Amino acid sequence: MGKTVSGPEGALTLLEAVTVNVKAGETVAITGPSGSGKSTLLGLLAGLDVPSSGEILLQDSAFSALDEDQRAARRGALCGFVFQSFHLVQDLTALENVMLPLELQGSRHAEPAARDWLGKVGLGARLGHFPGQLSGGEQQRVALARAFVVQPKLLFADEPTGSLDHANGEHIADLLFDMNRAAGTALVLVTHDPALAARCDRQLRLEAGRLHD
Amino acid sequence: MTELSRLLLRPWRDSAFRILALALLVASLALTSVVLLRAELDARFTARGAEMLGGDLVLDGSRAPEAAQREIFSTLMHSELIKFQSVVVHNGQVLLVSVKAVDQHWPLLGEVLLSDQRFGGLQTSVQHGPAAGEVWVADQLLDRIGLQIGDALPLGQSNLTISAMLVREPDQGGGFYSMNPRVLMNRADLDNTGILAPGSRYGYDIAMLTDNPKAITGQLTPTLRPDQEIENVDDTLNRSMGPLKQLTLWVSLGVMLITVLCGAAIYLTTGLRVARRATLAALLRTFGASRQTIIRRLLGHELLAVLPVVIIGIGCGGLIAVSAGNALGWEGALAAGPSEWLLVLLGPLTLFAAFALPRMSALAAVPALQVLNRQGDQSLRRSGIELAAALIGPMAIAAILTGSVQDLLLVLLLLAALGVMLPALLWPLLLALDKRSKRWSVASRIAVRRLSRRRTTTLPLMAALTLAMAILALAGQSGTGLLSEWQRKLPANAPNHFILNLFAEDQPVLQEWQQRHDAIAKPLYPIVRGRLTLINDVPVREAVTKENDRAERALNRDLALTEESLLPESNLVRDGEWHGKRRGEVSVEAELADSLGLKTGDQLTFVTSRSELHATVTSIREVDWESFAPNFYFMFSPGAFVEQDATWLTSFWLPQGDGRRVAELMTALPHITLLDVNAILARAQGIVTQASQATAVLAGLLVSAALLVLVAALLATADQRRADQSLLRALGARQALLRKVNWLEFVALGLGAAFGATLIVLAAMAPLAILLFNGQLLWSWWQWLPLLTGIGVALLGGLAGRRIAAGYRPTV
Repeated sequence: MGKTVSGPEGALTLLEAVTVNVKAGETVAITGPSGSGKSTLLGLLAGLDVPSSGEILLQDSAFSALDEDQRAARRGALCGFVFQSFHLVQDLTALENVMLPLELQGSRHAEPAARDWLGKVGLGARLGHFPGQLSGGEQQRVALARAFVVQPKLLFADEPTGSLDHANGEHIADLLFDMNRAAGTALVLVTHDPALAARCDRQLRLEAGRLHD
Repeated sequence: MTELSRLLLRPWRDSAFRILALALLVASLALTSVVLLRAELDARFTARGAEMLGGDLVLDGSRAPEAAQREIFSTLMHSELIKFQSVVVHNGQVLLVSVKAVDQHWPLLGEVLLSDQRFGGLQTSVQHGPAAGEVWVADQLLDRIGLQIGDALPLGQSNLTISAMLVREPDQGGGFYSMNPRVLMNRADLDNTGILAPGSRYGYDIAMLTDNPKAITGQLTPTLRPDQEIENVDDTLNRSMGPLKQLTLWVSLGVMLITVLCGAAIYLTTGLRVARRATLAALLRTFGASRQTIIRRLLGHELLAVLPVVIIGIGCGGLIAVSAGNALGWEGALAAGPSEWLLVLLGPLTLFAAFALPRMSALAAVPALQVLNRQGDQSLRRSGIELAAALIGPMAIAAILTGSVQDLLLVLLLLAALGVMLPALLWPLLLALDKRSKRWSVASRIAVRRLSRRRTTTLPLMAALTLAMAILALAGQSGTGLLSEWQRKLPANAPNHFILNLFAEDQPVLQEWQQRHDAIAKPLYPIVRGRLTLINDVPVREAVTKENDRAERALNRDLALTEESLLPESNLVRDGEWHGKRRGEVSVEAELADSLGLKTGDQLTFVTSRSELHATVTSIREVDWESFAPNFYFMFSPGAFVEQDATWLTSFWLPQGDGRRVAELMTALPHITLLDVNAILARAQGIVTQASQATAVLAGLLVSAALLVLVAALLATADQRRADQSLLRALGARQALLRKVNWLEFVALGLGAAFGATLIVLAAMAPLAILLFNGQLLWSWWQWLPLLTGIGVALLGGLAGRRIAAGYRPTV
């Protein structure tokens, strides 16, 4: 697949002839310098954007060819996200944040599941706290619980430890890989951190929009 | 591009600044036009008031002033006038006339309008009185005793030549109801008439011009004899400016509210601007900038960038004032002096200082650490200072608008109380909704939480929207209330002619004439002249201990009494019950009743030319003296005048047309007194027309200001909204759900604000009624406006939110 956007100085190629295949339960790290197209690739894989050329298949069925709502529905059912800057909804408590993806799917049992996952990340005592009342590490743990609560087949993580200190970063990485292994989820991880990338089954390196194994 | 133009233009790249600038522009424009128009009205009405009075000050007396008093005004330009009643006899006809003998300085101000014929003659304006040996007389005198211009008028022992018909004297005052026709003569002829002798009743007035009426009043006051009093321009204006004063007060109120709304928009956009510039402030601190440097750089540049906007607003306001002046037929340059121009510059700057600067000053306190560790918005707020400034700012603007805070104090206090109380009232409501929402659909829950969990955004937004809705409803309600009240008083076919001294046998002639000329007849009132002599069988002089002007006037002359079974439209019963057709009862005008100490149940005795009239006071009436309808101090129940000599009084509306129609009536009924009030009516109707135009302009400005608040509110929350939509989309939310969340959020916001606004409208009706409508509550469809606007907000917000939602791409 490829991605081209038009800018003030004409067409700009962000990704060119990229082919990625992620198997069930596999962990894949995407690395590369800033501006190499890592986040663009993640956005395309997650169906947040559509490629200018090529196609994305999810569980062997067309994904990028679906319309936005269909992609959102598939994404909600099959994918989880962990972001560098946590992206928790500031107005919702930790519990409500974790319940949110289940609620969006129409689940009637969102609360017990969310409590359970928050317990697993060690935040069972902080269910009613708002993001502003939690530390960076705690916020990322809420984000992890939110990502896993839908029991995704595929987890996208964008620099999950990028906003954390070393100790918290290590803790989050351990949790991420442990939970991933336990759930049998495939993981696509965008990172600058070679140590984190090294914990994945496979590493893909992006440079100027082109993929190098 | 120069550094200055860069500084001026750079902020315009920020959408928040553009809304802030627009709000300031609207506020400057509204403030400027009102301050300039007020100055214009003051100047013109002071001039007109002085003209009506005959000078800047008038010393009234019943004989010539004392030598000590002459010394005080001898250095001033002044004119001496002698006024008295006399009788003119001609061809066997007897007529009581009001004579005014004027000196060579009269009139000190204004012009005398004369005509060379009774009907349709050539009119000329002069600035002097009649020459010795000549008189100018009113049209009624010519009609009543059959004289013509050029004839000799027998006055006392003299015969004076009628050299012109008097159309209008500058100092005839606002009253058109003078019973006796005017004769204007030269003072030099007065002695020869032999009318005034020792013991005669006459008035001796000194009209004077002075730049310092207060000082002269101060000097004259200790020298006043009991028969003397000093009249000034303010006294005269208070009598004639009723509706115009109401109008200027309402316009000031409207502009005050516009500025408060603009203030709300400025506050909301400033919040966004501050949030966007906090990182810059922190960076500057990191680079070693002092607080003063940050204030100079961020606040100073902001102030510099808004100055041209304020100046453009002032320019537009000036243009509006000039166009309004042109529409009113005013000539000459604007009357506003340096102090007014300074005020129009200070007004918008005060608004900016009150609603933007306190918030922006938080930038000076942003720590350098913010660069590394971004704090929440809370660190960028100074709630105490912001609240104080938002309360004090409008007070200063009210003072600029009206010259004192007193006139608008009630409304300001209400706004201030609401500013403090609204959040306190709204917050528990939102928290209750939040709790209830647990069982609601996910869209409803997210929508309610967006509001209930963002106190710092929701409360100012909701308060601003609530105020905007309440203000629109109140301004609309009071504006249309005032207009309809004036239009009711002055319909297009308000009577433009009054007839006095009509006899019963004249009525068929009058009716036939009215039908032939498509005149619209108004009710006929029988008039009996009588003097109040006894109150509860006690002579009036003993019964009334505290006399004031009104009581004095009522007791010392024959009053026009009438009988009527229907309460006139311009009257309202304050105490007791209207008599209807019951016999032996009388209704008394409220102010006179108060000054004479009359109450229901009192027995009154009047002496008329035929007998005594006895009646019991059964009602006290408020009378609208500004209505163009005959009004009476005493209205008897039917049957009181059975044995009295009554004449009739009536009014009618005559379409514009040939003056010969009136001449025909005067020929048929030469003994009647016909008063043509077209000129006075046209002026009053002109004011109503201007008022409706002013209302439309103000309504437009109010709506723009309210829209600015909504746009500012949407803009202030747009970034957050985009981030929310992005995240929800990434987590799998469908477009329909996002739309529903948006829609529900604005429904809750709009209807919540509508609920608050309706409460305010209901609460504000009482003070507004006291301020503008003599305490009468007005119920109208305007009370539904907040609900309608709430629905509008929900629709607009929902649509705008959809656009914001549609304009984003989900990102990670």
